Amino acid sequence: MKNNAVRTFALMLLVSLLIGCSHYTVNEQNRKFDSLSGYRFDTLSPGPKNSDSLFVCLMFSGGGTRAAALSYGIMDALRKKVIRVNGRETRLLDEVDCISSVSGGSFTAAYYGLFREQLFDDFRTKFLERDIEGALFDSLFNPYNWARLASSYFGRIDLAAELYDSDIFDAANFEQLQKNGRPFVMLNATNLGADRRFDFTQDYFDALGSRLDNYPVARAVAASSAFPYLLTPISLKNYPLAQGYTAPWWYKNALTPKNWITDRFNAAKNLSVYLDKENSYIHLMDGGLSDNIGARAILDAFDRGFIRTRINQGTIKQLVLIVVNARTQSEDQLSRHEVPPGLLTVSEKTATIAMDNYSYDSVSKLREALYARVQVQKDDKAYAAALTKYCPQAPKPISFAADIDPYVIEINFEAVNQIPGENQRYYLDMPTSFKLNEEQVGKLLNIGPKLMQATPQYECLIKVLDAEAAGLPRPEVCPQGAGIFN
Amino acid sequence: MAKEYLVVSFPRTRRVLINGQFSGTTNIILELEDGQYEVTLGPPKNFTPEKYDIDLHGTSSMNPMIVEFKVLKL
Repeated sequence: MKNNAVRTFALMLLVSLLIGCSHYTVNEQNRKFDSLSGYRFDTLSPGPKNSDSLFVCLMFSGGGTRAAALSYGIMDALRKKVIRVNGRETRLLDEVDCISSVSGGSFTAAYYGLFREQLFDDFRTKFLERDIEGALFDSLFNPYNWARLASSYFGRIDLAAELYDSDIFDAANFEQLQKNGRPFVMLNATNLGADRRFDFTQDYFDALGSRLDNYPVARAVAASSAFPYLLTPISLKNYPLAQGYTAPWWYKNALTPKNWITDRFNAAKNLSVYLDKENSYIHLMDGGLSDNIGARAILDAFDRGFIRTRINQGTIKQLVLIVVNARTQSEDQLSRHEVPPGLLTVSEKTATIAMDNYSYDSVSKLREALYARVQVQKDDKAYAAALTKYCPQAPKPISFAADIDPYVIEINFEAVNQIPGENQRYYLDMPTSFKLNEEQVGKLLNIGPKLMQATPQYECLIKVLDAEAAGLPRPEVCPQGAGIFN
Repeated sequence: MAKEYLVVSFPRTRRVLINGQFSGTTNIILELEDGQYEVTLGPPKNFTPEKYDIDLHGTSSMNPMIVEFKVLKL
């Protein structure tokens, strides 16, 4: 009797301790600001085989394992594609400078960032063909975790992050990502308080007065893929600014009220959320809620970030943006019925319609921004030629540091019908989950490269690179701009 | 968002700093977002004026805003 009471007391004590001690991993404070260190594009080594002249960025969308597998297939195709740049043989994969990813795509992006070629050895068995959902449920039904989950400071997402940390990312942190150099991996999440995009880079963590180097990559991936309702948010602490902090260069004077309609103003508003220290905590969920394609981080880099500075410095010759979009679409049955859809269908549509349209607009915005630059370059050339012809004594017009030759290559399931023997509906009906069977994974790995090679933009990129390598003029079928609209 | 165009004129090729960030060189067209910036040159400090505070808008690549630095005679 006495023993039972002692046991019960000991058990209750253990449970209380577990509840009391269970707390999510807190990001550490940064005491001294250093713009030349931390996980940011400019601190990363380009690597021996990477040139700035061919500047390649990848965008991996959300979509669970489906998105991770489609991205993997593209990485494998880039690995197998040998090109010549500046007289040197290399692989297209070695030329990748940045990856912006969301949700399921973040698993592939982070794994490659951390483990490089190992991606092609074990990612398939470690993640793609694994029942991650089952593993998450197992940990959820472990009585030890029930007590931990009773704490307000420990949620289902923390269990998921622990699983990813131990089983997929080998407890790696951002310091390891930084040591590996390019590509710069931007793992995107959504700040629930500000309704805005957040990415796990030192620029964001500087505004939080925090270090990113010792933060687990698995937690960033968990935040990026924290699907609402099933998982809970990842939280970060917002500390006082580190000594000597200076905001990014574009921030100064950006919040001038008359400029409120500009993207720069909007970006500054986003940063100011973290500079406002009354916002003591940041709660993050799936990156897909604010941008399900990862395009906004690239647009920011193009407008005022590391891509913009390199364009103005004249170091980028070909700017290649590859969008891997694993978006699905169920067959429209609603329009065939007289009875209006029920609550569940309406809820599902409410969650996805805005996201899908925003993703479409984000890629359109990328295309238009790059095409506008091509048009300006063409206008300037025509103007200079007319001046030379009709007014040869006039001073030459001032030019850009260098013309850029942009490419936007989008891989999605819309184009599956162009691939012989493939059924588009098979891919469009694939579920968004962390559990696909081997056949589904195999077909996704197989279709990605075919879809990429079938795009006229990719075809032109390869033709232009081949012609350059052979010292031939640019192919007539691929004039500048054909990498955008062809 | 539409871009704006800036030329920083100087008799020599020199780094251009926009809000303290190396953003290209002198005597070429720089493409930036609309708005206010502080423009100066990289070292050596043999130029005048020390900086320009500009409000960049309403430009085109054929009609960029031009700010001119001169060599400071010591």
